[in-house]
Amino acid sequence: MTDFLTLGFLQRAIAAAALTGGLCSAIGVFVVLRGLAFIGAGTAHAAFAGVALAYLIGAPPMPLAIVFGLGTAWVTGLLEEQGRMKLDVSIGIFYTATMALAILFIGLMKSYNAEVYGYLFGSILSVTSEELQLTGVLAVLVVGLLGFFSKEFFFLAFDQEMAEASGVPARRFFFLLLTLIALTIVVSLKIVGAILVFALLLIPPATAYQLTSSLHRMMLYAVTIGVLVSIAGVLLSFQFDLPAGPAIVLLATGVFFLAVALSPKRAPKPALP
Amino acid sequence: MTRPHPTHTHTHPHHGDHQHGKPLIRFEHASFLYPHGPALEDITLEIADGEFLGVIGPNGSGKTTMLRAILGLMPPSQGSLRIFDCACQELRCHHRAMIGYVPQKRSVDPYFPITVHEAVMMGRAGAIGLWRRAGRRDREIARHALEDVGMADYDGHPLGALSGGQQQRVFIARALAQHPQILLLDEPTTGIDTTTQHTVLELIQRLHEDLHLTVVLVSHDINLIAPLAERLALLKTRLYAVGPAKDILRKDILSQVYGPQILTTDQGHVIVADHHHS
Ligand SMILES: Nc1ncnc2c1ncn2[C@@H]1O[C@H](COP(=O)(O)OP(=O)(O)OP(=O)(O)O)[C@@H](O)[C@H]1O
Ligand SMILES: [Mg+2]
Repeated sequence: MTDFLTLGFLQRAIAAAALTGGLCSAIGVFVVLRGLAFIGAGTAHAAFAGVALAYLIGAPPMPLAIVFGLGTAWVTGLLEEQGRMKLDVSIGIFYTATMALAILFIGLMKSYNAEVYGYLFGSILSVTSEELQLTGVLAVLVVGLLGFFSKEFFFLAFDQEMAEASGVPARRFFFLLLTLIALTIVVSLKIVGAILVFALLLIPPATAYQLTSSLHRMMLYAVTIGVLVSIAGVLLSFQFDLPAGPAIVLLATGVFFLAVALSPKRAPKPALP
Repeated sequence: MTRPHPTHTHTHPHHGDHQHGKPLIRFEHASFLYPHGPALEDITLEIADGEFLGVIGPNGSGKTTMLRAILGLMPPSQGSLRIFDCACQELRCHHRAMIGYVPQKRSVDPYFPITVHEAVMMGRAGAIGLWRRAGRRDREIARHALEDVGMADYDGHPLGALSGGQQQRVFIARALAQHPQILLLDEPTTGIDTTTQHTVLELIQRLHEDLHLTVVLVSHDINLIAPLAERLALLKTRLYAVGPAKDILRKDILSQVYGPQILTTDQGHVIVADHHHS
């Protein structure tokens, strides 16, 4: 155990997993409470389309991923706010369109590009120290903002109109939240991949949701679960030579079902016939 | 420590015997639209600083819309609405923090992870402002507000585990915790048991009298709010009448919006005529 922990790439992978796990879980609490799961999924797809476009035209992937991700998050936020159309349908159409774009960009590439697929499935064991630093900076920024404005973000998650009515600039915080969600997803792409980042955003908060009736404790539990599960997933994947992303996600899913089974919220329900 | 409860009931009339300040809320020929059509039309109404206004009218008559307008959540399509002497479109967060709002009852997700204490503390968010965190004083205020609605024992309970009426009391406490200057209540007593209804209304009456709180109270229970409100406003998209209860609770006035079955008794109570006996 001790000697493989001295391996540079593994140290980086563990640090990256802990950071992404904690970051995604923290922001994921608001994604779950405010009912923004579809925005998480859509933003991940769109950001991946940005990455594919970047590889196609030979541009750096991060800026385009951010543009695509932020654009999607904001547009969906505006649609959500207006509440005019059936959101699941319009969003579904929009998101499959971004995924179609991604596939189109990949198809247009002259040759098979393994790096692009790294953003789809994640490649945590090949994380560079620059990527790790970027994730670290973002984690501090996002968690710092969430912590500093926790009373605003929690109010917004509970009842946005009431928050606005009570003198919280809820609309601005809603768009700040969308921005933070998009940034979190973009930096997590390389580490866990576009498909699995969504799981990391939802599962630890959903697990914490089962375990407590307090907002503040839900945040604490979610981050703890996210960090621990991510680290454990990396260690498992190294030990048994499994891909890291699926190891993290399946582990988290296991913990989730355990929490559902043990949830105090489900306890008073009468037994099913 | 609780503030002392007054022993008198709120049945004594005190219409018009209050000294009120300048108008705090001023509708001038204001109309408010939803995509489907107007919810309020050509409203002209002044609500004075320290006044207690009761708002009545049938379902869909625009009562909730009126409260949302006062919160600055709906700009008028025509005319103007001024609150604290600024146009409602320009209401800033610190203005809204001075307006307490108890929305019409709606269901709370029973599993939403929030405690009663956390819900009441949300009332402090606007008052505290963005750059400060809640402190001991804020927690004291929240505890007081819960005591005022008789819910102090439920501080740490999950909000979703309370009954509908108890949740409504928590939301009243949240509005009180704001220490508002204007209190807007949208049918605050629906779903609350009779005794607690009286406690809550007495509390609102006391805050109104002691702290000079401006109250706008929407209710379907005309007989319950008539003795409390200094003036009643009768709405049905338009403002049909506004004035002291004795001038509003008359058959000829009420029947304009409620239909011919509405009657008033000699005691000033409003009843609905029963066809079978007429
Ligand atoms: N969110 C909304 N979108 C569109 N129309 C609305 C909305 N809310 C209210 N309306 C319409 O505006 C009108 C006034 O509604 P409002 O809620 O103000 O009535 P109300 O007097 O509060 O009724 P109630 O006694 O049922 O609470 C109604 O015709 C209603 O259909
Ligand atoms: Mg209403």
